[in-house]
Amino acid sequence: MIRCTNCGVELEENANFCSLCGAPLLKMATDNLDIINSGKTLQDEKLSMDFQKLTGFQKRKIFWKISGIILISAIIITLLIDFIASQTITWSKYPATISSVLFINFTLNTYLHKKIILLLAISFLFTTVMFFLFDIYAGETGWELKLGVPVILALYITIYSLVFLIRDAKQKGLNIIAYSIIAAGLLCIYTEAIISIFLQSSLSFGWSLIVLVSVAFISALLFYIHYRLKKATDLKRFFHI
Amino acid sequence: MKNDNNHIRPDPGKFWFTLDNAAKIFPAVINEEITAVFRLSVILKQPVKIGSLRKAVLLAENRFPYYMVQLKEGFFWYYLEHLPQHIPIEVDDKPVCRKFQNGALLIRILVRDNSFSIEFSHILTDGGGAFEFLRTILLFYFAECGVKISAKTQFYNPADPDSQEEYEDAYVRYFKEEIPPMVKRSKAFHLPYSLKSKPRFTRLNAIVSLEQIKQIAREKEVSITVYLVAVYLYILQEICESLNGLSKYKKNKRLRIQIPIDLRKILPSKTMRNFSLFVMPEIDLRLGHYTFDEIIKAVYHQIKLETDEKLINKNISRNVGSEKKLYIRGIPLFLKSLVLRMKYYSLGTSQYSGVITNLGKIELPNEMCELVDYFIITPPPPNKMLKINCGVASFGNKMVLSFGNITQSTEFEERFLQFLKDQNIKVKREINK
Repeated sequence: MIRCTNCGVELEENANFCSLCGAPLLKMATDNLDIINSGKTLQDEKLSMDFQKLTGFQKRKIFWKISGIILISAIIITLLIDFIASQTITWSKYPATISSVLFINFTLNTYLHKKIILLLAISFLFTTVMFFLFDIYAGETGWELKLGVPVILALYITIYSLVFLIRDAKQKGLNIIAYSIIAAGLLCIYTEAIISIFLQSSLSFGWSLIVLVSVAFISALLFYIHYRLKKATDLKRFFHI
Repeated sequence: MKNDNNHIRPDPGKFWFTLDNAAKIFPAVINEEITAVFRLSVILKQPVKIGSLRKAVLLAENRFPYYMVQLKEGFFWYYLEHLPQHIPIEVDDKPVCRKFQNGALLIRILVRDNSFSIEFSHILTDGGGAFEFLRTILLFYFAECGVKISAKTQFYNPADPDSQEEYEDAYVRYFKEEIPPMVKRSKAFHLPYSLKSKPRFTRLNAIVSLEQIKQIAREKEVSITVYLVAVYLYILQEICESLNGLSKYKKNKRLRIQIPIDLRKILPSKTMRNFSLFVMPEIDLRLGHYTFDEIIKAVYHQIKLETDEKLINKNISRNVGSEKKLYIRGIPLFLKSLVLRMKYYSLGTSQYSGVITNLGKIELPNEMCELVDYFIITPPPPNKMLKINCGVASFGNKMVLSFGNITQSTEFEERFLQFLKDQNIKVKREINK
C-alpha cells in the first residue's frame, strides 16, 4: 500500500498523486521521478500561461494596441482625404480630435485601471479640452463653458458614483441594471437643469421628471426581482413565519 | 402549530426546513471567532484509506439528506435549504473548527494520517446527531476496507428510507403549554485571563486512562461526568480564590458549569437535529470554601434534580414558548438577529463559568474496536466571556479531554490535568501535529 508523505493517508497502489492533498508520490515512484517532475513543471507552465492569458491588464493592453492602430490610421486617413479634396484642413479636424480623445481615454483605461479617481479626472480634463477645441473650430460661440463643461461634469460624477456602487455591490445581477438606469434618470435631471439655466436663466424641470419617475418604478421592480424573488423563488419558504 | 414539520420534503430534490429551537440563536452570533462549529474525530490504528473513506462518505450522504443543506435567510427566520453538493473532504492542516462560508454545506470532513474528523455547524445538529453520522461513516468505511461486520449491528442503512422523525424539531414535539416561565439565574464567575490575538482558538487534547478515572469516580460513588464537573468546579474555585484583592471583589462568586444533556436518552425521539438541553450545577463561594467532597455531593444532587423529566419539560417550554409567540414571529429577521446578538451574552454565557460536554463511552461492534484507537470531541470555540471549555469522549480504555481555549493562559488546563495526576490517574498529552 502507498502512503502519502504529506498528509499521511493511504492510497491506491497505482496512484501517482495523492487524491487528498495533491502531493506527488515521489518515494514510491523513484523510477518515474523525472516523468512526474517534468509532468508537474509542464502542468505548472500550462497553468501559468493560461493564467497570464486571462489577466485583465494583458487583455486591456491588446485592446489598447488594436484600437490605437485603428484610431491613428483613421486620423491620418481622414486628414489626408480632407487635404486632398479641399487643399486645406476643414471638417476632418472634428473626427481627428474625437479620435485622439478616444485614444487618450483608452490609454488611461489601460494603464490607470485601478486608480479610478485619477483616470476619471484626467479623462474629464481631455474631454473638456475636446469641447473647447470644438468651440474654437466653430468660431467661439461661448456655449462650451456654460453648457458643455457642466453637462460633462455631471456625466463624469454620475459615472464615478455608478462605478463605485457597482464595485462595492456584493451581488451583480439585475441590481446593476437598476443602478444604471437610476443614474441615467438622474443625469437627465442634471442635464435639463443645466439647459434650462443656460437658455432661460432659471431652474425648471419638465421632461426629466417624467423620465426619473418611470426609471424609479422600473428599477424598484428590478431590485425586487433581484433581492427577493431570485434569492427565494419559493415565497412560502422565504416568508415562513 | 402541531404540524410544524409538515412542509418538510415536498419534493425530495429541493426540500427545506426551519431551524430547530436550539439552532435559532447561532446564525445571529456566528463570526470568525465564534464559529459554532464542533468537531468529532476518530483516530484509527492504521492510516486512513482515502479511497474507502470517499466511498463511505458517499454512502452516508444518501442516508442523511437533512445534513446536505445550506443556511438561507428568509424574511422572518433563517431556514435550511437542500444543497445538492458532496461533503468536502479536505486535508486537516488548517485551523480547527473554522466558520462555514455562506452558500456552502454546514459540514466538512478532514483527514490526516490516522485520523479523520467531521466538523458540524451547531445549526445542523448536536453531538448526539453528529456522532451517529460519524459512526455510520465509520461502519461503511470498515466495510469498504473489507472488515466483516456482524449482521446484528444496528446502523443507518442507505437502503432504508430516512424517516420523517429524523427531521423533526423534537423540542416542538415536547413543548407543553402553560408551564410557568423559568426564573432568570444570576451572573456567574468568569475566568480572568486576557485573550489571545486572532485567530484565538487553540486546543489541548489529553488522553486519560478510563479504567483509573472510573475507579476513582466509583470510590466517590458518582459517574465520571459528575466527577469531571466536580474537578472543573474545584479548579475554578482555586483560580477564583487565588485572585488578588480588587479583581476578586469584582468577580461574581457563583461558579456554575453548563453540561449539555442528550435529551434523546430521556424523551424518546429519533431526531437527528439538535435535541439537547443543559443542566447547570453551581457552587456559591459566598458561602465559604468548598472541599472536593462537598463539591461532588453538590454536583451529584443538582444534576439528579435537574434531569428530572418535568423540569426538562419546563425548560423546553420556556425555550420554545418564546419562539411560538406571534408578535415575536412577526419581527423581521434583521431585528430578531439584533436582539438575539444582544441577549446572547446576557441570557446565555453570563450565567455559567464553564462548559463540559461528555459524549460518554462510545461502543462499537467488536470487529471494529481493535481498529480504532480513540475518539475526540472538540466543542465549538468558546466566546470571549467563557474563554475555556472542555469536551470528553471515551473509547476502550482511553478517555480524551479536549480543552478549547482562546486566552493566553493554559493555567486552567494545567491545573485540571495536574489534579487528575495527583489522584494517580495516567494523563498523556496528545502531541499536536
